[in-house]
Amino acid sequence: MTLQQIRLVIAAAIACLVAAPFVLNPFSITLLNYIGIYALAAIGLALLTGVGGIVSFGQAAFVGVAAYSTAWVTAVNGYSPWLGLVLAVVLTCSIAAILGFVTLRLGGHFLSLSTVAWGLAIAFLFGNIDGLGQHNGISGIPPISIGPLALVESRQIYFLIWAIVVAVLFVCYNLLDSRIGRAMRALRGGNTLVESLGISAFQTKLATFVIAAFLGSLSGWLYAHLGRFVSPGPFEAAMGIEYLMMAMVGGAGSILGGVVGAAIVTLLKNSVQDYLPLIAKGASGQLEIVAFSALFILFLQRARQGIVPFLAGFLPDLKQSRPQAATALPRREQPPPGTLLLKVSDAQRRFGGLVAVNNVSFDVRSGEILGLIGPNGAGKTTMFNLLTGALRANSGEIAFAGRSITRDQQFHIARAGISRTFQHVKLRPRMTLLDNVLLGTYSRTKTGLLAGALRLNQAEEASARYEALRQLERVGLGDKPFELAGNLPLGNQRVLEIARALAADPTLLVLDEPAAGLRRQEKLKLAELLRSLRADHLTILLVEHDMEFVMSLVDRIVVLDFGSKLCEGEPAAIRSDARVQEAYLGGVA
Amino acid sequence: MTADIAAILAIDGIATGAVYALVAIGTVLIFTVTRVIFIPFGDIAAFTALTLAALDAKQLPGTVGLVVVLACMACAMEVVSLARTGELRAVPKAVFGYLVLPLIVVGIVWLTMRFNPPMPVRLVLALLLIMPISPLLDRIVFRPIADASVLLLLTVSVALHFALVGLGLLFFGPEGVRTEPLTSMAIEIAGVHVSGQTVLILTAALVFSGLLFLFFDFTLIGKALRATALNRTGARLMGIRPARAGTIAYLLGSLMAGVSGILIAPVNTIFYDSGFLLGLKAFVGAIVGGMASYPGAALGAFGVGIIESFASFQSSTLKDVIVFSLLIPILLWRSFASQHSEEEVEE
Amino acid sequence: MRKMLSLTALIGGLVAASTAQADITIGFVTSLSGPGSSIGIPYGRGIQAAMEYKNEVNGEKIKLIQLDDGSDPSAATRNARKLIEEEKVDLLIGTATAPSTIAMLAVATELKVPMIAVSPVIGQPNPADQWGISVPQPASLLVKVVADRMKRDAMKNIGYIGFSDAWGDLVYNGAKAVETEDGIKVLTNERYARVDTSVTGQILKVLAVRPDAVLIGGSGTQGALPLLALGERGFKGKTYGTVALVNPDFVRVGGKAAEGIQVSAGPVIVAEQLPDNHFAKKLALEFRAAFLKANNVPTTDGFSAYSFDGWKIFTSAAERALKTAKPGTVEFRKALRDEILSTKELSGVHAVYNFKPGAYHGVDERALVIVRLNNGAWTYEP
Repeated sequence: MTLQQIRLVIAAAIACLVAAPFVLNPFSITLLNYIGIYALAAIGLALLTGVGGIVSFGQAAFVGVAAYSTAWVTAVNGYSPWLGLVLAVVLTCSIAAILGFVTLRLGGHFLSLSTVAWGLAIAFLFGNIDGLGQHNGISGIPPISIGPLALVESRQIYFLIWAIVVAVLFVCYNLLDSRIGRAMRALRGGNTLVESLGISAFQTKLATFVIAAFLGSLSGWLYAHLGRFVSPGPFEAAMGIEYLMMAMVGGAGSILGGVVGAAIVTLLKNSVQDYLPLIAKGASGQLEIVAFSALFILFLQRARQGIVPFLAGFLPDLKQSRPQAATALPRREQPPPGTLLLKVSDAQRRFGGLVAVNNVSFDVRSGEILGLIGPNGAGKTTMFNLLTGALRANSGEIAFAGRSITRDQQFHIARAGISRTFQHVKLRPRMTLLDNVLLGTYSRTKTGLLAGALRLNQAEEASARYEALRQLERVGLGDKPFELAGNLPLGNQRVLEIARALAADPTLLVLDEPAAGLRRQEKLKLAELLRSLRADHLTILLVEHDMEFVMSLVDRIVVLDFGSKLCEGEPAAIRSDARVQEAYLGGVA
Repeated sequence: MTADIAAILAIDGIATGAVYALVAIGTVLIFTVTRVIFIPFGDIAAFTALTLAALDAKQLPGTVGLVVVLACMACAMEVVSLARTGELRAVPKAVFGYLVLPLIVVGIVWLTMRFNPPMPVRLVLALLLIMPISPLLDRIVFRPIADASVLLLLTVSVALHFALVGLGLLFFGPEGVRTEPLTSMAIEIAGVHVSGQTVLILTAALVFSGLLFLFFDFTLIGKALRATALNRTGARLMGIRPARAGTIAYLLGSLMAGVSGILIAPVNTIFYDSGFLLGLKAFVGAIVGGMASYPGAALGAFGVGIIESFASFQSSTLKDVIVFSLLIPILLWRSFASQHSEEEVEE
Repeated sequence: MRKMLSLTALIGGLVAASTAQADITIGFVTSLSGPGSSIGIPYGRGIQAAMEYKNEVNGEKIKLIQLDDGSDPSAATRNARKLIEEEKVDLLIGTATAPSTIAMLAVATELKVPMIAVSPVIGQPNPADQWGISVPQPASLLVKVVADRMKRDAMKNIGYIGFSDAWGDLVYNGAKAVETEDGIKVLTNERYARVDTSVTGQILKVLAVRPDAVLIGGSGTQGALPLLALGERGFKGKTYGTVALVNPDFVRVGGKAAEGIQVSAGPVIVAEQLPDNHFAKKLALEFRAAFLKANNVPTTDGFSAYSFDGWKIFTSAAERALKTAKPGTVEFRKALRDEILSTKELSGVHAVYNFKPGAYHGVDERALVIVRLNNGAWTYEP
């Protein structure tokens, strides 16, 4: 499929939406209105859950905050619905920001549980705050007016609802294809990779969370002015689950999935209501929720990925054009060869009683390849984690380019110019090679959230894409930039990680056991690549197990054993050192 | 607030907390063994109360229908999956375990009902009838996705809760029930009136948690369960089947939930949908224990009960807001107290 | 592309759903599931009894379409739109919870279809654009009649405890409204949730103000919870409530603690004890017979009778409206509304109804009698 064809399909879909009110009967329009409103909340969840990997049960509470805000502004105080929109958005986003700030540091299911908690707490509040109509709710909410036209009828508000839905779809697609959006997509699958690219996982999560709440607030605002009545019921826990259901049925990773999911759930509910009484007379009301929950469980058991990704599998691949040459991204000033780049002084790290790294000191000089070796359990990985900020040293000092990074967070260290790869390859298998490498350019680019969403960033985006392609070519993966990273063999995945690290234009490249699991041929190619990088004056620190690989490649070696530094020197000297031989006796060697 | 009132509220809170504690312990048990956060536990407790009330009223409880339907489904699923893997020899055993055994329980209840059994027998019948439900649900709902992430299991569990609420309405009707008190005696402690039911609740909570403790420490199955909780793969290598461990965990958990349902039924009206808040509050307690520690869960549950009791005095309308808002600081504290490990979400 | 698919599905549904026009079509919404179901299910049975009692007007058959709103106002809104836009109903009747009823009424007003609400509706309609009326006794009247009784019983300080939902609000506000008139003082406003396990804290607060009597703003079974707690704390004063408490499970659960409570209720509750000349006696007995025939269970509460009275109001108005317009037309709906709003001295099983534009409720004190729980049975206390 070409871009041209996609545009055609989109235009046809929009034409259908515009024509709908003139063709369909009034109740279908009513259903479409609800679908649109639910879709907005579900798109928010699709971003949060599917893209960002944060399962939230509390979306209904955000919708409720917005609906109640606008109801309070318009029905209680008599102001315009547009003022209601302002309060709805501001209040919802502020609450989301505060909640997110407090809870987003929680890990895994703890985070989801906290959404259950505040979701319930907020829902209970609606019925109990004075001035919000208590449990009876607020009625008499005026319709939205555009100029002199009041949107009273279903048909009229239909256009507003779907205009917003379509706009939101466009903006979200743009956003996900931008710098911040790529960072959001990388969130799913753990923080370590994200932070190692100079991205603050927390800030990115917070942004995703607030965006989801923002979409929820649009939904709530429209909901209040469509039904012109709000009460606590529709914002309780059950609805939060239903939004989640919509997002997951549609395909949580997909923005369009939010719309499709909302449509399926709403239409299914409607037909369950129509047809269930024919099957089970008398008990239909009770069975509705059972039938519905059972379908959802069955869906989660059988087709977790959702409808849109499933259908998308049948569509022909999108033909994308290779990035064109563009202005190069600004480069970091590299220190002259031979200067002191990294200085580790007396670093120590304990885990309970175990001292994993014991007062280790060494230097890395610009332009060299330094190998950090040692038998199993020597403390190599811990040392590596100390350097990259994944762990903090208990004592000692680590300085990079003359500045202490001992207490810095991972993403700060990454931004300072240390790029890393992982022993167990960390890629985003469902993103393309190009997108994976583009993640590396994050710290070199500046485009913000809004600019990305509105595509105001084309020049920088083009430069970043070109840079990513250049790095892919540099490591020899330039022929298929739109292949999915998950389809590569392990050897190439490691090379892809190096390309991603190079895209950050690092001063120091830190490789964690890059040869592990590679076949001989692949190892030779990897060594070749690393040599060529050294020729380009890049400094490399190599943590490695494979002696043969290290000896043939590095300029100097530091040997660790039982957490302490055993010795340091050139490969030939290390090879003949008696202590090293003893340490490795029975080891790999 | 005077000291008198505080004492009354505290006792009330402890009694409520004891009920939560039983459910919380069951929740922790199931989570550690199967990684499922079993939200419908509160529903199991509520269903026990409704079953008991039906037995008291000399009606055949709706639970009978529920168990029969679930047993047929579970049996069919098991047989099909066995047939697929070609293990036809295991079919008779599966049919016995998933269909015949629950039906025997139903049969026993049905037969005993004709003889107007006395109260203690009715209690046992209610528990017998409720215990197969969770293991059957486990087979139907969770077994096919046993390897999924905790989050997916949680989502399924929440959906299951809604299905159960609908089934509860279908089988038990919309009206609430309250069973006759197990005891009418009352004692005075330091001038504060304490009802016999409160004493009974506390005793039962202590006895059943104690029994669970003994079970874990002194029986082989208990040790196997603990092993599964600590390390699933390791346990499997040692010949402990996680599925079987799961079934036992569900049975035990149901027993705890069932007991709490029986205890709460005389002091509070139970509806088909009363389980949700009960389950969630127990769950808050379980989280205090980090979803891993039984004493922690019990303490947390008592804490929730007491806070709820005082909150209802201070501001009855905002009581639930207070309880659930409290969960967030608790979660934060748990999250920072426990060592972070990178939890990889499935891609 | 996928959007087009869903649109095709919509159009498909539309073709399947276009039904043949019956003579008079009534859309009935109630809560068969969710927290409102303990009231909603009796409403549903009441409407079945009403259909059994009278299923045609002047030879025109009545077609009834019933939908469940799951106690959710959004679903009630959608149901109302579905009934009007798809089934072209002439009248809406519904539903079990106050918020859902208000939500339906908003749709009825927008789409100009008359609606008979079977839950209390608060507020004042715009007389020029009023499309709905409400059958039940308003909470203010329920409480006023109880308050009169409290006054007669020489009660002064009243403690209040009720549900933390719309019903609890209605009763409390009703009680506050009579406060100034009668010298009765409502001193507490304690609330509990329908699913709460204990009300000890709230009851302690109520007792702290040393009330002469306690007013209960709960409904059904769980309405007994405060009475049980009061009994446990040795409260010796009188207790009062409203018709919402009247159901067999309340009596069963409340047991001894509920004995002696006086509630204001529609006369249908004690139909057989009414004097023979009471307006509701004959009709109420007929209603009970129809109920038994339609549902195979006897009536046990006051809720089902609201559906029945709503039906009475509708059929009586329809008789007159049929003279000017044909069912299924805009004119008929307008005529039906006008006739409903000019209902005069119509006897139901709960009340004598008089509706006029500008007010939702159309009942007076004849709609309520005081009944007292004696030995597990409600007795008429004139």
